[in-house]
Amino acid sequence: MILSRHAVFGSAPFSRFATGALLALAFTLGLELAHAQTDPFASTLPRNRFLNGTDTLRAFAPVTEATRHSVVRLSVDEALAALGTVMDTNGLVLTKASELKKGKLTCWLTDKEVPAELIGTDDEEDLALVRVHAQGLVPVQWAEEDVAVGQWAITPGTSDTPTAVGIISALPRRIRPRRALIGVQFDIRAPTPKIDQLLPGLGAEKAGLKPGDIISGVNGSSVTNRDQITEILRDFREGQTVKIHIQRAENAFDADITMMPPPEQTSGLSSLRQRSLNRVTGEVSQRAEGFEKVIEHDSVLQPWLCGGPLVNLEGKAIGLNIARAGRVTTYALPAELVEKAFERLKVTPVSTDTRK
Amino acid sequence: MKPACWLLVAAFISTAVRADISTTNSPSTNGISQSLEPASTGKQTNLYPRAFDLPEMPYTAPADRKKLPPALTRATPTSVAELQSIQKHVEALVARVSPTVVAVEIGNGSGSGVIITPDGYVLTAGHVCGAPNRNVVFTFPDGKTARGKTLGVNSVDDIGLMKIDGKGPWTNAAMGEVEDAHIGDWVLALGHPGGFDATRSLVVRLGRLIRVSTDMLQSDCPISPGDSGGPLFDMYGRVIGIHSFISTSMTANFHVAVTPCYDGWAQLVAGLTGTAPRAYAGLVEVSDGGCRIAAVDTNGPAFTAGLKIGDIVLKVDGRDLLAAASFRHWEAESKPGETLRLEIKRGDKVLSMDLALASPPRRRR
Repeated sequence: MILSRHAVFGSAPFSRFATGALLALAFTLGLELAHAQTDPFASTLPRNRFLNGTDTLRAFAPVTEATRHSVVRLSVDEALAALGTVMDTNGLVLTKASELKKGKLTCWLTDKEVPAELIGTDDEEDLALVRVHAQGLVPVQWAEEDVAVGQWAITPGTSDTPTAVGIISALPRRIRPRRALIGVQFDIRAPTPKIDQLLPGLGAEKAGLKPGDIISGVNGSSVTNRDQITEILRDFREGQTVKIHIQRAENAFDADITMMPPPEQTSGLSSLRQRSLNRVTGEVSQRAEGFEKVIEHDSVLQPWLCGGPLVNLEGKAIGLNIARAGRVTTYALPAELVEKAFERLKVTPVSTDTRK
Repeated sequence: MKPACWLLVAAFISTAVRADISTTNSPSTNGISQSLEPASTGKQTNLYPRAFDLPEMPYTAPADRKKLPPALTRATPTSVAELQSIQKHVEALVARVSPTVVAVEIGNGSGSGVIITPDGYVLTAGHVCGAPNRNVVFTFPDGKTARGKTLGVNSVDDIGLMKIDGKGPWTNAAMGEVEDAHIGDWVLALGHPGGFDATRSLVVRLGRLIRVSTDMLQSDCPISPGDSGGPLFDMYGRVIGIHSFISTSMTANFHVAVTPCYDGWAQLVAGLTGTAPRAYAGLVEVSDGGCRIAAVDTNGPAFTAGLKIGDIVLKVDGRDLLAAASFRHWEAESKPGETLRLEIKRGDKVLSMDLALASPPRRRR
């Protein structure tokens, strides 16, 4: 339900409490600027002094200087797709898998473009292992200590000042996957998880489930009520398969059901309001949910600038930027998760290119 | 201005209000209120204006720039060492102010708020309250909850007040004044965007003030629609703004200045809607060697009375005035049409003049 929670709360200030007037005000920057010109006390902070202004970023130059050879820019068909985090001296780089679309993969270092190839992807944390054909890459150094809320969170690029800076906004936590369904509606009057209806086109229907079937197990664990099933299924992403144990009259059998996204919501936000909200949020990552643990920071990072390291003032990596999840929200995978995934990917790389 | 003076101011304000309550409730039995009334003026209506059942106003904490790390007062930080000192300051500040920020649920909507008095008054955005006397569920950063009600709503300025049931005491944030806020000041935005999330709790963001006007602050602290009602803290840990609205640009984050909370305190506490019925003096006062006049509206009463920029207001109706905040209290608690007797210092001279308060001009918005 994460998505709809956001939708409800996101719209709350504008839809539930205020009239259209505030909505209009909220998205009419022009009005504010016009007002500023008539305000005798108003003056504006020069852009170079903003938190992400050029003058402020220059103070971080020593940090970036220490890390710029540990960051690469990955391009697909000559277009910047993601940053990458250098993991070893042999040119192994981790990046955000879902940003690497099909096409010719190349890699920009601080000064030159070199060939690169995809070695493997890890769907759990949306990481891709890439081999970059270059010498002189310096692996990132991982920070030892825990992060603190309020601590600087620096996203270095390959240039001499950071791509973006911010602070740690919240302590590490798990992000559940985006809502996916097997596609059944239960009979709420029945004490057992009895199927009342099947949502057309979703996995349960395709697997041949029928109204009246009772679900008695999910992936090997037995279940006796609806809440248990919902709770178990929340941890599965779209595209993953679950084994559902079915009781149908005297028979019992297993069905493999593919989780699918819910059908297009027709209720909830009007498309106009949704568009307005999207406009103030900006572009977010295609995959911004379903991570075992993330560090949340407030750097404004475009989706194609994820994949690189997030470092502290000592230039040590505290994580790998994995998603832009909202206007105020960027997620980084903590060091220990990245290192674990790296070990996994090194041992069992997939042989085929899985990019879509 | 030394902090000791500020404490005196705060003491003066709270005693005055307490005295007011006792005069109405039991005038004959309370000796304190008697002793506080200066017999000479005899203008009791001006001395204790409409504060009779007014709870203590939120505490306005001092702003002493000299106490901030130098890196925070520079145009921009210039070295990693300065960034480190900012980081140290911000981390400590986050730990200090976090317990005062609450998530609120009202009806189907949610937002944030900040506790501003120990007895549980919570400041939020007007559009989060919606209307007076609605049920509120407060969630503290540690996940504990409490019930309460919405009180006054000022939808023009987008300020609202709520009260947590019970007496508390609750950990409260100090309030600041927009007069001490300058463009370039570093600020922290706190809140519960998207409602309370037990695995995440508060979300903290850092930025700087981009524009400052008497009723609105703009910062580059990225806030999101669900952040409404959350506090904007300055680097002294004082609430100076409440998240109100945003625009498409990531640096277009707008926070209502806390001014209308002071101006409309009586009204907000009473659970009334509408803007503060604020008397208008037509000057901008700052706390700088006392209550110093920083600007005078040439169409306002202060200009007519002969007040000039640089004047320092020493007394109002015979009462010593040590800071801009206390002048605000006078302004907030007086009616248009009332006259304040000011004693001011201009250079070496001490002058006295009568300031006839007017109705506030239509607010710019």
